[in-house]
Amino acid sequence: MSDTQPKTDTTKEPVKNAQQSNLQPETTETKQLSNKELKELKKKEKAAKRAAAKEAAGIEPTSQLKGGNKNSESKDGIVKESKDLSLKDKTHKTNSHIKKQLNDAKIHDTNMKIPPMFGHLETREERISSTPKIASIVHPSILSLTLKISTYKIVGSSARCIAMMEAFKDVIESYITPEGTSLQRNLTGHLSHQIEYLKTGRPLSISMGNAIRWLKQKISVIPITTSEEDSKTILLEQIDLFIMEKIVIADKVIVEYAENHINNNSKILTYGHSNVLSELFEFCATEQNKKFEIYIIDSKPLFEGKKLAKKLSKLENIKLHYNLINSLSSVLEKSNIDFCFLGAHSMLSNGRLYSRVGTALVSMACKNKSIPVLVCCESLKFSDKVQLDSVTLNELGDADDLINTKPFNKTGFNLQQYMNKLNDNKKLLERENQKGKKGGQQQQQQQQKLKIEEANKEEDEYDLSNWKAYPSLNILNILYDLTPPEYIQKIITEFGALPPSSVPVILREYKSAT
Amino acid sequence: MSSAPSASAINAANKLEVLVEAFISKLKRRQVTGSYNVAIATCQFLMRVTSISRWNTANEFITLIREIGKRITDSQPREFAAGNIVRRVLAIVRDEINLNKTFNDNNSTNIAPVSASMFQLLITSNKEKDVGNIKINEKSDLRSIIIQGIRDLMDEIQSVHENIELMTVDLIHDNEILLTPTPGSSTVLNFLLKASLKRKFTVLITENYPNDIELCHRFAKKLADANIESVIIPDSTVFAVMSRVGKVLIGTRSVFVNGGCVTAAGVATVCECAKEHRTPVFTVAGLYKFSPCYPFDRNSLIEVGNSGKVVPYEDSDLVGKCEVTNPLYDYVSPEHIDIYITNIGGFSPNFIYRIILDNYYTNDVDLS
Repeated sequence: MSDTQPKTDTTKEPVKNAQQSNLQPETTETKQLSNKELKELKKKEKAAKRAAAKEAAGIEPTSQLKGGNKNSESKDGIVKESKDLSLKDKTHKTNSHIKKQLNDAKIHDTNMKIPPMFGHLETREERISSTPKIASIVHPSILSLTLKISTYKIVGSSARCIAMMEAFKDVIESYITPEGTSLQRNLTGHLSHQIEYLKTGRPLSISMGNAIRWLKQKISVIPITTSEEDSKTILLEQIDLFIMEKIVIADKVIVEYAENHINNNSKILTYGHSNVLSELFEFCATEQNKKFEIYIIDSKPLFEGKKLAKKLSKLENIKLHYNLINSLSSVLEKSNIDFCFLGAHSMLSNGRLYSRVGTALVSMACKNKSIPVLVCCESLKFSDKVQLDSVTLNELGDADDLINTKPFNKTGFNLQQYMNKLNDNKKLLERENQKGKKGGQQQQQQQQKLKIEEANKEEDEYDLSNWKAYPSLNILNILYDLTPPEYIQKIITEFGALPPSSVPVILREYKSAT
Repeated sequence: MSSAPSASAINAANKLEVLVEAFISKLKRRQVTGSYNVAIATCQFLMRVTSISRWNTANEFITLIREIGKRITDSQPREFAAGNIVRRVLAIVRDEINLNKTFNDNNSTNIAPVSASMFQLLITSNKEKDVGNIKINEKSDLRSIIIQGIRDLMDEIQSVHENIELMTVDLIHDNEILLTPTPGSSTVLNFLLKASLKRKFTVLITENYPNDIELCHRFAKKLADANIESVIIPDSTVFAVMSRVGKVLIGTRSVFVNGGCVTAAGVATVCECAKEHRTPVFTVAGLYKFSPCYPFDRNSLIEVGNSGKVVPYEDSDLVGKCEVTNPLYDYVSPEHIDIYITNIGGFSPNFIYRIILDNYYTNDVDLS
């Protein structure tokens, strides 16, 4: 068994040793260390001892690298290694473990450019390029989910949350508790790896974070006496229940609350796409047979509003209008909008709405035209975070998405790299072929090529695909913005409607109960 | 037109007709676009009209130009620059008449005319008619004066950028973050390029998708070439970054008497957002963009473009199922603008009427 040590383990040991040797002189110099620092020091000493013990046992690090690449093996390895540690120590280790690997794997691309104020946000390249090394211990459905999320095939905080929970079901189903440990102790750690990988696609949404916290809590409270099979079925059932209760039923309740704002001949304005809202509009049009108009405002680069428009275009009772955000003022001026409905990514504890970038602009314009702004948001999306502006907390999208003047079509990062490689190879081959050929033909071809290139250069005036070559040119593509509470008239949740100032109430009264 | 139907007169009238038709069709087919180009083209056109046309009195010339002006503005009612130039030329003629009048009046020891004041309302208008009907002896002299006036006007238009640029230093401080939602404006581009010589600053450029996206890229490229820190942002991101922006800089298409202006689509929302954040909004515009018209009907000012740019045919399941509009312009109300920077200085929007009064005659506002 001992020869299947995880490859992950060995990479870490030298680092820790090095850190310790660095730390020792410091302690002799200052001696005044805080509690926290002391604890860390002890941990490191422990780790060093362990490492020494292993080396004494004669395990060669190089042989291990080739070994545990398969899922089950590596899992076993981690468990064996962490057997002698307390639970707390173990979780700390596995987490920091993965993080260190991610940092190692990060490509520090000097070509990468982030606008000055946004240097603190992680770019998509940074996230994605760090994936390959830990891919071995990740469940295939998490792999596919990560890919779908990173290419925006699955967008929207509810959709992402549901997809993640479904993937977790697969993970739990195929999970086998390693010998010598219990499901309650080991499964959380195992999930953490999956989550770390999932984060490389896109940062977790607030709802996903809340769901994960809930799931980990559920795992920890399973009685230790239950058998593995039983506890797995309990968990699977509870996940189903969670999705049902927190998203599906919650949406239905929200729709029922919001429905009375839409009457015959109402004019509703909405921005982008939201699951709850499309359910609401569908419900009003089909079940209640109301005839009304919807103005969809949309924006680059994701064009989520088109998704909503496509869904609603099948319904006869709805008259659709589709506009981009630059014609917002014209839309508000010309048509008498009754209500503005917005979806949410998250509601922050200080009453601010964290949602798709552009939401703030739309709600501001509506407020100034005295159109009531209503937000539909499940309580799962409520967060105890407080934020004041959109710059500090945000997610950075891919800058190249904006350069594309054509409609949005996203290929995965890895696919792109592969395509680039293919192209490079092609060029190489062509060059070799050209070298082989001789005579006037070649010259003619070259001349033609030059002409084409010149023509291209003229067009280039408008083309920015080589924007990275300009040192002082940046492109900013952030995904979210923050809407101040003054613009929002009411938030509709499954617990009822409330003003933005009451968000912390929901967090206190209801979150603690569940 | 002329009272004596001699062969040469008919010939001249035909020539004039051809000239007018050619210019109108040029405008209609949008062979000349952009207020700068239109203004210059109108100047050149009017210069030729002045030299070709036949008239005996200054009043005759005024009616001729008014007629042509009416046709031009009708052919392209939302291109205000053409109408503005026609009115400016009319003002040149009227100034000349007034000068003559005061000269004559001075002979009879009279006071100088009180122009553009309430007092004018009390003066009987037949006096002016008298002056118009006075046959100006030196007709060819008037012609050359008018042509010289138009030439001066052209010089003024061509030097607009330089004059506006003189103010850059007073308006931008070091390390400032500017935002411009009108990447299509060459006035803004020149303003920033000039400013970069004296100050270091960052420019945020909105994309103005879908109409001006290419212009935005070219704009950003030119700024980057001049080593100005520039950041392209989507239109939706304006609110998120507004709290960090020091000033908003916009270009316009035309400015109206009330201090409002017509500019690229989406700018109205940006200016509203700037107002919410108490960020000052600067408008740069040459004098030729100032129109003596009043924006009574907002919708009549706004042109609508190709909606295929909003929903392309790739989205075939949406085509025909929803109403798509693509307005090209936006009306920004005066309360959302802090300062107008023109080639004759900076003004607050509620002073614009005065500038316009200085350059146009009120009886030329309506050309019909």
